[in-house]
Amino acid sequence: MGGRAGSMLRDITLGQYYPVNSILHRLDPRTKLFGTLVFIVSLFLCSSWTGYVAAAVFLILVIRLSKVPFHFMVRGLKAIMILLLISVAFNLFLTDGEVIFKIGFLKVTREGIRIAVFMAIRLVFLVLGSTIMTLTTTPNSLTDGLERSLGFLNRVGIPVHEIAMMMSIALRFIPILIEETDKIMKAQMARGADFESGNLIRKAKAMVPLLVPLFISAFRRATDLAMAMEARCYHGGSGRTKMKPLQYKTADHIGYPVLFLYLGIVICLRIFPPKFLPLSAPVR
Amino acid sequence: MGIIKTSKLTFDYVTRDEEEKVEDINRAISDVNLDIKAGDFIGILGHNGSGKSTFAKTMNGILVPTEGTVWISGMKTSDDQSLWDIRRTVGMVFQNPDNQIIGNVVEEDVGFGPENLGIPTDEIWKRVDASLEAVGMTAYRLKSPNKLSGGQKQRVAIAGVMAMRPKCIVLDEPTAMLDPNGRSEVIRTITELNRQEKITVILITHYMEEVIQANRVIVMDDGKVVMDGTPRAIFSRVAELKSYRLDVPQVTELAYELKNAGLPLPEGMLTIEELMDALVPVLKERIAGIPAKQKTAGEETAAKETAAKETAGEETAAKENAGEETAAKETAGEKTPEENTAGSDTVPVLKVEHLNYIYSQGTAFEQSALKDISFEIPRGQFVGLIGHTGSGKSTLIQHLDGLIRATSGKIYYNGQDIYASGFDMKKLRMKVGLVFQYPEHQLFEADVFSDVCFGPRNEGLSREETEQRAKEALAGVGLDESYYRQSPFELSGGQQRRVAIAGVLAMNPDVLILDEPTAGLDPKGRDEILDKVSRLQDRKGLTVILVSHSMEDIAKYVGRIIVLNNGEVAYDDPPKKVFSHFRELEKMGLSAPQVTYIVHGLKEKGIPVDDDITTVQEAENKILALWGEEQVQC
Repeated sequence: MGGRAGSMLRDITLGQYYPVNSILHRLDPRTKLFGTLVFIVSLFLCSSWTGYVAAAVFLILVIRLSKVPFHFMVRGLKAIMILLLISVAFNLFLTDGEVIFKIGFLKVTREGIRIAVFMAIRLVFLVLGSTIMTLTTTPNSLTDGLERSLGFLNRVGIPVHEIAMMMSIALRFIPILIEETDKIMKAQMARGADFESGNLIRKAKAMVPLLVPLFISAFRRATDLAMAMEARCYHGGSGRTKMKPLQYKTADHIGYPVLFLYLGIVICLRIFPPKFLPLSAPVR
Repeated sequence: MGIIKTSKLTFDYVTRDEEEKVEDINRAISDVNLDIKAGDFIGILGHNGSGKSTFAKTMNGILVPTEGTVWISGMKTSDDQSLWDIRRTVGMVFQNPDNQIIGNVVEEDVGFGPENLGIPTDEIWKRVDASLEAVGMTAYRLKSPNKLSGGQKQRVAIAGVMAMRPKCIVLDEPTAMLDPNGRSEVIRTITELNRQEKITVILITHYMEEVIQANRVIVMDDGKVVMDGTPRAIFSRVAELKSYRLDVPQVTELAYELKNAGLPLPEGMLTIEELMDALVPVLKERIAGIPAKQKTAGEETAAKETAAKETAGEETAAKENAGEETAAKETAGEKTPEENTAGSDTVPVLKVEHLNYIYSQGTAFEQSALKDISFEIPRGQFVGLIGHTGSGKSTLIQHLDGLIRATSGKIYYNGQDIYASGFDMKKLRMKVGLVFQYPEHQLFEADVFSDVCFGPRNEGLSREETEQRAKEALAGVGLDESYYRQSPFELSGGQQRRVAIAGVLAMNPDVLILDEPTAGLDPKGRDEILDKVSRLQDRKGLTVILVSHSMEDIAKYVGRIIVLNNGEVAYDDPPKKVFSHFRELEKMGLSAPQVTYIVHGLKEKGIPVDDDITTVQEAENKILALWGEEQVQC
């Protein structure tokens, strides 16, 4: 059915703010950006079950604090399912080591299972972690955060404000363009277009009636938006004030130590892996 | 000098080739001289392509005049120094609500303008609060714009402009993409801003009823100002307006026609109340006048009295079996092909049985979009589908085309179950042609002809047959060979839409479903499209389902109306019967045509007219009959 592709596209939660009032929502975006960075780094530092347990505890805590319903985040996971399955399969079948069983030429090793499982957890955590950030931070304050955090790049000639503005606009228009894609797709299907059958070349050709109108529409929207921004006196970042200037508050003053504490724990667990668990041998 | 003054304003769109040589010059505005007073509410009318949007864009320096001058509070728009001052003095609201909201949260969007102006943070918050309050959107301040209705989005856009504290707001067709409720929401908001905040408003539109509140109306045609005056003065020149591809509200039209027929009515009636106040005494006097004269007439009296009684008797009889009568009248009326074929007892072309559809089943967003829908559509019928935004109309028509699969229930096309295994869904989509809203957005080929060929080509027809179909389809929408090799993107909006409709017609469908085919078109364009469709339905026996927000259009063309309310069929009857429930329709966020309100009003005041009238023509005939009949007797 035609609706499927559209609804699949709609499931991507990345960049969709979930408006509730939680501590996490009120945190400064810079804190959240730093937190996400710390979380990602910590995932790559994890070498043992205990590390992942620490990461899981941290993640659950953050999810609870965010007040965003869990299934909302899971929806975002669906989009990376294929990527996840491929990487799991690769690791599962292509890792050398102690063979547990064989199916034809495919062999599954003890190390393979380990790495595959770790990989899957890492990927899921990674997506969940960054989804929480985008669900609790309005794209505008997110770009504000980036703009401020990366402000030093301005000195080497990188137009940070402009890039941030572009990101913010892109985020605003993603849902609109997704809806539009769905609509054009259906309209062309109503004229007998077939997006699903045929070989790769036929499929690619079938995309023309979808992509051309989509591009035209995107350009039209861009022209309109540029005009609307100009009419509202937009003239770049200079001389601009902020409705919501970034200011660290108490929550942020607590947030940073918590993040450092978490990072410290993960590092400790890597350096001194607890010996009492049989599976805790470090992974290469 | 007023807040806006233009002198000899002229604007040319210049197309240049790659070497910057002038290829083509298109004069959009020529020699416009206007002076607009602060605090005025100005309505600018004009058909698509009359230059009114270009004119709007010259008012805050988005476009700089080719010749002539525009002064905003004494500042020239061609002067770069004062550009930002001009833009904060004259704010603009555009047509497409999505393409002018920058912020991802309502309040952040409203704050965008003040941020650009370098206003201190505290002050920005004050302005955002005040602006949201002024447009009544405070409750939505933390929402994402994507979750709002069209009317709400436009109010946010207005708030965004208000936060810049402008003296004047120019609105460029702000209601063109909205449904009737959204439209009245926006018009109410800007009227209030004009009255309470004393903001000068310039409203560009081609919905005539929206400028009734204005204190000055300017009509543009071909880049020139052709009419300029009060709404009353402008609206009394009906024939002239029509020559500019415009229209007048039904009230005005009816009053105009009656006046032309000799009824003593004042010129330029704008509202139902006004017409009632003028018409009721005139008709009453007429009716009351008879017995007075009858007394002197002696003998004739008795005969007349019986005649009067007879007419009265007829009237009550007509009222009693209004239901059946309407159906009968339909048959006798202009065109009802469904009645012609009904006798042959054929299978309905579409049949829907207990259709249910639930969105996002199994999630927290689960929502029942269609509830137990059942109906049959016989071949050749012209059906109107109405319902407020979100009532399930779009979902329903997508089911009929097999684009959405029902959660439960059945759909039969010519007696075949479309969900049965082995049913060719692609074939169904060819036979049930669906024209989406703004269908011109799906055009993609380099020329008109190839685009129309897309459907038949997908059907696997031979080249000759494909081209034959395309030619027929294009002829059906009134586009001749000179258009075949043109790029669809260079045509006007109305022409693009006709190309898109031809693209669906070329598949030779049995059923044509049109979702708001007239959205965004000027009055003449609307009539042209609907006339073409109606002719196809008449001549080819095409079954047509028309989704529309315009009750006037629905009343004029269809033989049956299906009303959807919250995913359920509320009514499924001939127009006269459906519109007799106008109070219930209003509760569903719908309405009846203006004339229906007029005749109901007349009836309440004791004028003997049928209250099931739905078109201006009918009302005119009935009132004239009433008038004329008495005239003979005098």
